[in-house]
Amino acid sequence: MSNNSDKKKIGILDRIPVYLICVVTLCFIIVFFVSEKKTFSQNENRKLAQMPEFNFEKIKSGDFTSGFETFVADQFPARDAFMRLMAEVERITGRKEINDIYLAKDGSLIERYKYPKNTAKQIDQFSKLAVNVENARCMLMMVPTAVSVYSDLLPENANDPDLQQQIISDIYSASSDKLQKIDVSTRLKDEAKKTVSEPLTEDITGNRLFYRTDHHWTTYGAYIGYEAFCEAAGLTPIPLSEYTGEIVSENFKGTIYSKLNDPYFGADRIVSYSYPDWKLSVEYSDTEEVTDTPYNKEYLSEKDQYSYFLNNIHPLITITNDAVQDGAIALVKDSYANSIVPFLLAHYHTVYVFDTRYYKGGPSKFINEHPEISDVLILYNMNTIDNDTGIGGIF
Amino acid sequence: MVFSSLTFLFFFLPAFLILYYVIPGRAKNFVLLIFSLLFYAWGEPIYILLMLFSSFVDYTDGRLQERFASSLVKKRVCLVIALLINFSLLGYFKYADFSVGIWNALTPFDVKLPGVALPVGISFYTFQTVSYSIDVYKGRIKAEKNYLDYLTYVSMFPQLIAGPIVRFSTVQQEIHSREISESGFVSGMKRFILGLLRKVLIANQIGALWDTIRVADGISIVTAWLGLLCFTLQLYYDFSAYSDMAIGLGQMLGFHFPENFIYPLSSVSVTDFWRRWHVSLSTWFRDYVYIPLGGNRVGMVKHFRNIFVVWFLTGLWHGASWNFVLWGLYHGTLLTLEKFIWGKWLKKLPMALQHLYAIIIVIFGFGIFTFDNLSEMGTYFVKLIGIPGNPLFGTEFWWYTGNYLPVLLAAIVLSFPVYPAFVKKVEGAGTTAVNVVKTVGTVLMAGLFILAISSLVKDTYNPFLYFRF
Repeated sequence: MSNNSDKKKIGILDRIPVYLICVVTLCFIIVFFVSEKKTFSQNENRKLAQMPEFNFEKIKSGDFTSGFETFVADQFPARDAFMRLMAEVERITGRKEINDIYLAKDGSLIERYKYPKNTAKQIDQFSKLAVNVENARCMLMMVPTAVSVYSDLLPENANDPDLQQQIISDIYSASSDKLQKIDVSTRLKDEAKKTVSEPLTEDITGNRLFYRTDHHWTTYGAYIGYEAFCEAAGLTPIPLSEYTGEIVSENFKGTIYSKLNDPYFGADRIVSYSYPDWKLSVEYSDTEEVTDTPYNKEYLSEKDQYSYFLNNIHPLITITNDAVQDGAIALVKDSYANSIVPFLLAHYHTVYVFDTRYYKGGPSKFINEHPEISDVLILYNMNTIDNDTGIGGIF
Repeated sequence: MVFSSLTFLFFFLPAFLILYYVIPGRAKNFVLLIFSLLFYAWGEPIYILLMLFSSFVDYTDGRLQERFASSLVKKRVCLVIALLINFSLLGYFKYADFSVGIWNALTPFDVKLPGVALPVGISFYTFQTVSYSIDVYKGRIKAEKNYLDYLTYVSMFPQLIAGPIVRFSTVQQEIHSREISESGFVSGMKRFILGLLRKVLIANQIGALWDTIRVADGISIVTAWLGLLCFTLQLYYDFSAYSDMAIGLGQMLGFHFPENFIYPLSSVSVTDFWRRWHVSLSTWFRDYVYIPLGGNRVGMVKHFRNIFVVWFLTGLWHGASWNFVLWGLYHGTLLTLEKFIWGKWLKKLPMALQHLYAIIIVIFGFGIFTFDNLSEMGTYFVKLIGIPGNPLFGTEFWWYTGNYLPVLLAAIVLSFPVYPAFVKKVEGAGTTAVNVVKTVGTVLMAGLFILAISSLVKDTYNPFLYFRF
């Protein structure tokens, strides 16, 4: 007994698409089984899931099945190519926002900012540090990211009010009065207006304050941050022209790029600045390694090129510049600060750089034990602070 | 497990189909049963016992009813016990928290919420097993003698967790003997793939747009309505695609499940909508609630009572929350009004106006459906009429539509029966036209299949809306 739909004559042209898809599917299954399983994805900068353990407990709890599904997704053949295909189709069909990433008018990628959940905790921890520090002056710099600074470059009609600006104001007004707040937004926005409307040609900065494919600010953006800091701290900034600029990379594909994996969006240039008079000693507390530069060229040949600045992640870095007689500053910061640190070296003999994700015990204790520290700068960017696991370590 | 997952498409389904076709004759049912249990246990390793128990109750009930064929009283006792067990299980696992919540709100004696997790598909399989028991009682079908065959029917993975609600009478014969043909495989697989494409490339995408608009601040009235349209399209494509995939899978295995969605968004009235939307559910309520209560062959008061009961329950079936009840009663009320007051006038309107009338009611209704938090519903609904001072139209509308233009257009056009009309037209134009269209179709289908896989690989965004039913 079969009904009409089966009886309908099936011809070769009906069979082809169905069997074609079946064959393609089988090919993928075969490739999946014979191919070697990867442990790490360079592109996504994370470990890939492996075949989960098979035992009664895991099956009962559902861990086995959910683990198996992530295993299949992570190890799927040609995964990166599929990701790329989807992003390209979305772009071609007119999407201006893909996976919370704006495709900006100038062809750069700008991450959306979502309403933060942990603002109260940040205010709390920053204030704690300011209260605990006994003698040094404490400053706070919240850096807006491209979505706020380059709001003119967002796609047409993007319904995106400048939420970061509002949250920065909230944090500034609610945190301790002992903290001197640094307005870096205005400077960055002014600079953005200038460089967008009348870009300097032949300029190695590429007139960019933020990378086109990464969530960090460029060294040029960091320099603007440094100017804002100088103004607040009563220092005279050294003009950028006195630094030696060098293009160290033209093929930096950043974290935002990885979320789309579409070569259409190109790559970034990294510019590195150094000062001729530097006499540096850079000491990494965890590895006890000592170098004479705040940069590490080895990272330029890896995927994560931003780690060129300050050699990636360390709980405490102590940088001394014998070209400067005295003064010391402590930085409590995220990776944004890594590219601003080189500019500070001209003003302090010692720069202590804390990463509170790994530095335990709170920087205030260290600061109070080192009376030569006159300034403390807390520096975070708005984009990643809400998920920063180091916030709890600031006190 | 869901159909639109890499695990299902690349592991479960191929392994199952190969075994199913290789293993001969009656043993095929055994393959189907084992894989169905595996399919269910994949996400719900514990609750599978509940399904086994539930189906055992109704199987036993069927056998007992047949043994007591001569005694109406004994038969009735058996039926009542079976129904009590079925509905108690459904009531406990689906509505316990809801009921306790109402109790706590109405009385000063607070009871702790039991916090029961809803077993997947319980609403679907309970309705299937209940219809079986009632059909045996009414003598519409003979009781199934083989428990494994009965269990195969209840647990059959194509329709287990999201319908259609297949009655035993529909598949009784096919459970025992069915024709498995290559043409069944080809047309079933095609239907399955088309369903997959609708789910992944339309429902998921439009769903993402709805998620954005749902929480967006400062949107204009037009955008707020666009949001509800998106939810309506998402629900329709998600749900009907699931039915398509189920029907397609059934066809591959030699089963014929009933159609469940017949272009409901192209309705011309609410009455019309309910002949097209989730047909297996609305006919279930008609046959097992409305008609047994007397339907419309009773006095005016009872007739209204029957309508009320049916729509109250239809709403409640969709989830243990007041908004679903409200949604059911909303539709019940409009159906009644159409029946007794403006139905006649409606038919005289131009077709375009009839469509507009129906779609606005449907869209607004799904607005009630989607917000199970009444205060969230209120916040969104005032945006629909502009009370918070939002303008009639804003440029953000172009942002949302611009980002999703191709998929929105496809979703709107394909919700009308243009595809069958197109096929008919091409068939009328002769063999060459048919061949050209089929060739283009092949390329298109293969391309979209690859795109769907890309989307599944890329996106962990693959939400499934029906686990609440």
